[in-house]
Amino acid sequence: MSDTSPPASRRVLVVDDNAINRRLAMAFVKRLGFATEEVEDGAAALDKLAASPFDVVFLDISMPGMSGEEVLARLRADPRFGGLHVIAYTAHALPEEKQRLIDAGFDDLLIKPISLKSVEIALADFMQA
Amino acid sequence: MQFKRWVMGIRGKLIAIFVVIKVLPLLVLALVAWTMAQRLGDTVSRQAGAMADSMLETIRQMGDAATGDAIKALDDRAREGIERLTTDTARAVAVFLYDRDSDILQAAQVEPDEAAYRRFLAHRSRTVHRHGAWRLSDDQSRWESAGPEGWDEALAAEAGQALPDNAKAFSARPPEYIGVPEQRPLFVEMSFIDTSGRERVKITTGELMPRALRDVSRPENTFIKAERYWPALQKLKAGEIYVSEVIGAYVGSRVIGPYLPASAKKAGIEFKPEASAYAGTENPVGQRFRGIVRWATPVLRGGRIVGYVSLALDHDHIREFTDHLSPTDSRYTAINDAIVGNYAFMWDHRSRNISHPRDYFIVGYDPDTGQQVTPWLDQGLYEAWQASGKPSEAFLAGVTPFDGQSLKKKPATAQVKAGTVGLDCRYLNFSPQCAGWKQLTEQGGSGSFAIFFSGLDKLTTAAAIPYYTGQYGHSRRGFGFVTIGANVDDFHRAATESAKRIGQAITETDEEFQQKREALRGDIGSNLAQTAGALTFSTLVMVVLVIIVAIWMAQFITRRITSMIDGLGRFQAGDLSHRLQARSNDEMGELARSFNRMADTVQESFKRSEDGRARAEEANKLKSDFLASMSHELRTPLNGILGYSELLQVELEDPAQQEYAASIHTSGQHLLDIVNDLLDLAKIEAGRMELKPAELEISRLVADLIGAHRAHAQGKSLALTCALADDLPAQLSTDPQRLRQIINNLLNNAIKFTENGEVELKVRRVGDRLAFDVRDSGPGIPPEAWSVIFEKFRQLDQFITRDHGGTGLGLALARELAHLLGGELSVESRVGEGSTFTLTLPVAGPSTPPT
Repeated sequence: MSDTSPPASRRVLVVDDNAINRRLAMAFVKRLGFATEEVEDGAAALDKLAASPFDVVFLDISMPGMSGEEVLARLRADPRFGGLHVIAYTAHALPEEKQRLIDAGFDDLLIKPISLKSVEIALADFMQA
Repeated sequence: MQFKRWVMGIRGKLIAIFVVIKVLPLLVLALVAWTMAQRLGDTVSRQAGAMADSMLETIRQMGDAATGDAIKALDDRAREGIERLTTDTARAVAVFLYDRDSDILQAAQVEPDEAAYRRFLAHRSRTVHRHGAWRLSDDQSRWESAGPEGWDEALAAEAGQALPDNAKAFSARPPEYIGVPEQRPLFVEMSFIDTSGRERVKITTGELMPRALRDVSRPENTFIKAERYWPALQKLKAGEIYVSEVIGAYVGSRVIGPYLPASAKKAGIEFKPEASAYAGTENPVGQRFRGIVRWATPVLRGGRIVGYVSLALDHDHIREFTDHLSPTDSRYTAINDAIVGNYAFMWDHRSRNISHPRDYFIVGYDPDTGQQVTPWLDQGLYEAWQASGKPSEAFLAGVTPFDGQSLKKKPATAQVKAGTVGLDCRYLNFSPQCAGWKQLTEQGGSGSFAIFFSGLDKLTTAAAIPYYTGQYGHSRRGFGFVTIGANVDDFHRAATESAKRIGQAITETDEEFQQKREALRGDIGSNLAQTAGALTFSTLVMVVLVIIVAIWMAQFITRRITSMIDGLGRFQAGDLSHRLQARSNDEMGELARSFNRMADTVQESFKRSEDGRARAEEANKLKSDFLASMSHELRTPLNGILGYSELLQVELEDPAQQEYAASIHTSGQHLLDIVNDLLDLAKIEAGRMELKPAELEISRLVADLIGAHRAHAQGKSLALTCALADDLPAQLSTDPQRLRQIINNLLNNAIKFTENGEVELKVRRVGDRLAFDVRDSGPGIPPEAWSVIFEKFRQLDQFITRDHGGTGLGLALARELAHLLGGELSVESRVGEGSTFTLTLPVAGPSTPPT
């Protein structure tokens, strides 16, 4: 993906049922200059993504209803989201858990607890050079 | 394969054992029984045969003995009878001859004139018998009687008329028939010879003697010029008697045996039987030998010899004594059949033949010369005679009589051809009978012997004729001897007939025995065959039964074994609930029950271990789930704490508030460290820590580690140094992340607890291991605490300060990780001087990758 657009034009959707963690992520993302929106479950995320274009999705895994992996599977199955950068935003930090997520097809992992630094690294590709 | 298993398996072995212990004895038994039966059969058959043979042999021997005895008895009786006949005949001849002595003495008293002499002769006649006319048979193969000739059977006494007392063995014969009787003058001539030898008176009868008066002192004037009696007469004294030998013209024959056209032709002569010698049935029309025996005695007148009276006896009267004798049941015959060998004949005192059915055998004289015709010689003697060139009489005078007589000598065939075959025993060297007769009669006796002659077993007898007048008084033999030849077989024909009958009976019995024996053999054979059949059948049946039983038993036993094996196989394959059937109470049943008990135990323990494993797995899973859940649930709130505190630090402007936010962040960070360490420890304990071994460059590792902690050390004004030994390998095989974790922990602690001085990381080689020393100049650790510091949540109280912020898990985790990497973590320290933590690792990496 080319990196010519200013961060503000980049849109990051944060999906997390935990409101605190959702807002934190949004706060970090905004601070890094990205536009951001939030939804609290997978179904809403799919609706949101279908409704308007996003560059990156921070996708929590353990959510009521549709899990993050299910959402990813739907996104990956849908050609409309071919260029979408999906980052697992999760507290599943055990090595086998992380491996499972990579195997599932996530583009990157953002393990909780996050820091400004970790978010910056996760979004490095989308920041202005 | 299946078959091989079947054969080689227990089944096959069991069957083989059965066959060996049952079938073989059975076969042996059958074989023995068969052999015994056969032997019995053989023995019975052989003994029956032997019994039959010995019975037959006994019968045969008895028959032979009886026959032999009968033959001997008959022969003895016959011999006795014939000998008797011979001696009687000889005596009769002698009596007859003595009567002629009387005649001549009476004749000497007769006035020598013709009338007186005729009167004298007229009363002196005797009967001779002549057979009737014979002729050649139509086929010319034999001579036959022209008319009926023989006994008149009607004249025999009727046995049926015998009184009962006499009826047993009543034997009657008709009058003996010996031919047609003819009254014949005894003498063919009566003469008176004066002292000068001239015949003065002579009366003849018949045609034999010349009627003319002759001077008999001259031999040529005598009968057939052969008489030489004048010199003897002159020596006679008063009352002395001269008796001549038999003198007659020899009648020869060139055929010996039946004189028939065929035999004449064979002899190369014209068939003229009348011209050849008479020979009984062999030539009944032949020329008869005509001879005389002359008696003479001086005639006295006034005591002075005035002449001699002579009587010539017709030789036929002498022959009459023997010509009709037949040493057979017929006793007498009108005509002799010489060829059958049963006839009587006579010899003079010199052993010359004077009476024979074959006239050519009677020695005689040549009427032309008056010389004796050469008798039949054996071939050797004949050749010697021929070689001598002498007249036969002169030659024979110098020959030893009876010289080596033997049947092996051959008669002179030239004489047969010449027809001169008169028998003079002295020179008849191919006839040993001659010597026998001479031997028997030499001293006047008689006897017999048997000789196999001309193809017949012949008894021959001889009896001296006791007539000793004149020259005959010179030997005890007298006039000569009568002989009778008899075919022995004829004597004992009855015995041989019965012997033949016995033989026949024996043969029949033998055949019967043979048949019975064969039948017996057949019976035994069929019995044996039956026995063999039954034996074979029953043996086969038993063998089959035994084999069936063997197979059944083998099946029975092995079925249980194989079902057991199957059961074991199923059990082994995992069917732990499978149990063997253990219905029987024998060892097999016990084995099955034992197995089942074992199976119960095994299944139970399997179940227990399976349960335990399941529980352990469950527990482990729960633990893992718990860890994961714990981690997740702790990190989720920590995310907010750390994130917002960091955010606050950035966004707050009041330094005091910034500090508060920093404190919150530090506490959260500490909490996160605890969580991470706990998770690691938990993983190690759960055996879920996975190593990722890789080749690691040691210098690079050390540089990275020092680099990572430099800032921290500088922050506390500590010197952070490193020292690498020269003999280090370039590479180390281990899990780099975990090695870093351990050494980071050690370096972190060293820097954290050291206020002044230095911290050093030193790498050296100890054998095949590497040692990482982290040395500090901190406060040191008392020895009693060296082990404690590696325990979880234990820290030395005096070192625990809020500033240090340790989790209490670091060293415990480091040691666990060291162990995981196949290494050791140890400490040495002096309080007040510092501590050295040493990690040793195998250069080659963990020996066994932990699961």
